[in-house]
Amino acid sequence: MSETPCPREAGPCGPELSRRGFLGAAAAGLGGVIAAVLGATGLSYFVSPAFKKEEEDWVDLGKAADVKGGSPVKVDFVARKRDAWAVTEKRSSAWVLAAEGGDYTVFDPRCTHLGCPFRWDQQKEQFLCPCHAGVFAKDGKVVSGPPPRPLDQFPVKVVDGRLLIQPNRKKGAA
Amino acid sequence: MKDDSLAAKACAWFCERTGFDTVWTALFERHVPEAKGPVAWLYTLGSASLFVFIVQAVTGSLLAMNYVPSPDHAYDSVRFITDKVLCGSFIRGLHHFGASFMVVLVVLHMLRVYFMGAYKYPREATWMVGVALLLIVVGFGFTGYLLPWDQKAYWATMVGTNIAGQTPVVGGMVSKILKGGADMGAPTLTRFYALHVLVLPAIVLVLIAAHIFLVVWHGISEPPARAGKEPQGEPRE
Repeated sequence: MSETPCPREAGPCGPELSRRGFLGAAAAGLGGVIAAVLGATGLSYFVSPAFKKEEEDWVDLGKAADVKGGSPVKVDFVARKRDAWAVTEKRSSAWVLAAEGGDYTVFDPRCTHLGCPFRWDQQKEQFLCPCHAGVFAKDGKVVSGPPPRPLDQFPVKVVDGRLLIQPNRKKGAA
Repeated sequence: MKDDSLAAKACAWFCERTGFDTVWTALFERHVPEAKGPVAWLYTLGSASLFVFIVQAVTGSLLAMNYVPSPDHAYDSVRFITDKVLCGSFIRGLHHFGASFMVVLVVLHMLRVYFMGAYKYPREATWMVGVALLLIVVGFGFTGYLLPWDQKAYWATMVGTNIAGQTPVVGGMVSKILKGGADMGAPTLTRFYALHVLVLPAIVLVLIAAHIFLVVWHGISEPPARAGKEPQGEPRE
C-alpha cells in the first residue's frame, strides 16, 4: 500500500503508520493468528496417521500356570482386531509349549508350507501336518516334508500370571 | 512508482493476464458507507458468516476423512475422531459450535438488513439470494445434526421428518423421500450425508458467489437516516 497523505479520519499520525495502515496490519495479524491455529490443528489432524504408534494387540490366553510342562497344548482364543473405529473378532488358536523355568513358546497353528492346521502326535513327540506330510520337532524345527522353515512363533509374555500373545505378529519380525 | 522486485514483477505478470488487480480493487478497496460505533459493527455480520462458512468447509472436509455414514460405524467413527485422532476433538468442536454460530450469524445478518431497509430497491435480488442461503444453512444444520448417530441425533431427525410428514396431502411422500424409506435407518443416514457434504455445498457455493457479486455490484447501502435528520456521517462528494 502506497503512503498517501494522512486520511482525514485519522488523528495525529506520522508518515510511518496511517489509520488505514494500522487497520490493515491488524487485520492481517489477527487473520494470520486465526489461520495459524486452524492450519496447525488441521494439518496435525491430517498428517497424524504418519506419527501414530502401532497399537499392541495382546490377547489373553488364560492363566499361564494352566499350561503344564512337557507336551504342547492347543489353546483356542478370540482375537479382537481393531481397525480404527471397526473391531473385528476372529476365532483362532495357538500351540503353547511350556519350557523349564517359566519360559513359553507359542506356535502359529498353521503349517509353514501351505497353512494347514497341524496336530501334535504324543507318541512320536512331533507336530504332524496332514496335508503334505510335513513333520516338525517339538521346538518347531522341520524334521521332514515340504515345509520351507520352522514353525512361526507369536510374541509371548506373562503379566500377572496371565499368558499374553500377539497373534497378528511373528516373533522376530519387525 | 516503479518496483523492480521479483514479487512485484510476478504480480504484474499475473495481473496483466488475469485482471486480478481489478478484482482485488472491486472486492477490497470499494467504497463502503461511513458508519460509527455499534452500527459499524453490524456491517461485519456478512463477512463473519462467510468466514465461519470457510471454517465449516475446512473442518468438515477433515471430519469426512474419518467419518462413515453407516449405522454400524457412524457413532464409533465419531468417537474415534474425538478420542483417537490428533486434534480431532478440537476440529470436531469447531465444526459443532461453528454450525450453531453460523445460524446465529446469518439470522443477525438478516435482521440487520431488514431493520436497515437494505433489502429495498435495487437490492431485492441480493435479499432473495440471502433468504435462499438462510434456508440452505438451516438445511446444513438439519442434515448435519443426524450424522453423529447418537440418541439426540436419531430422535431429533425422527421429530424433524415427522413434522415434514404432517404436511397435508404430500406429507407422507416428503417424509419417505427425506428418510429414504418408510422407516429411519441406513438410507436416511447416507441420504443426509450426501446432502450435507455434496448437494448443499454445491448449491451454497453458487449462491454465495451470486450473493457476493450482487453485494459488490450494488455497493453497500447507507445506514438509514432518522426522520428529520441528515444521514449519519458526512456526505460523500
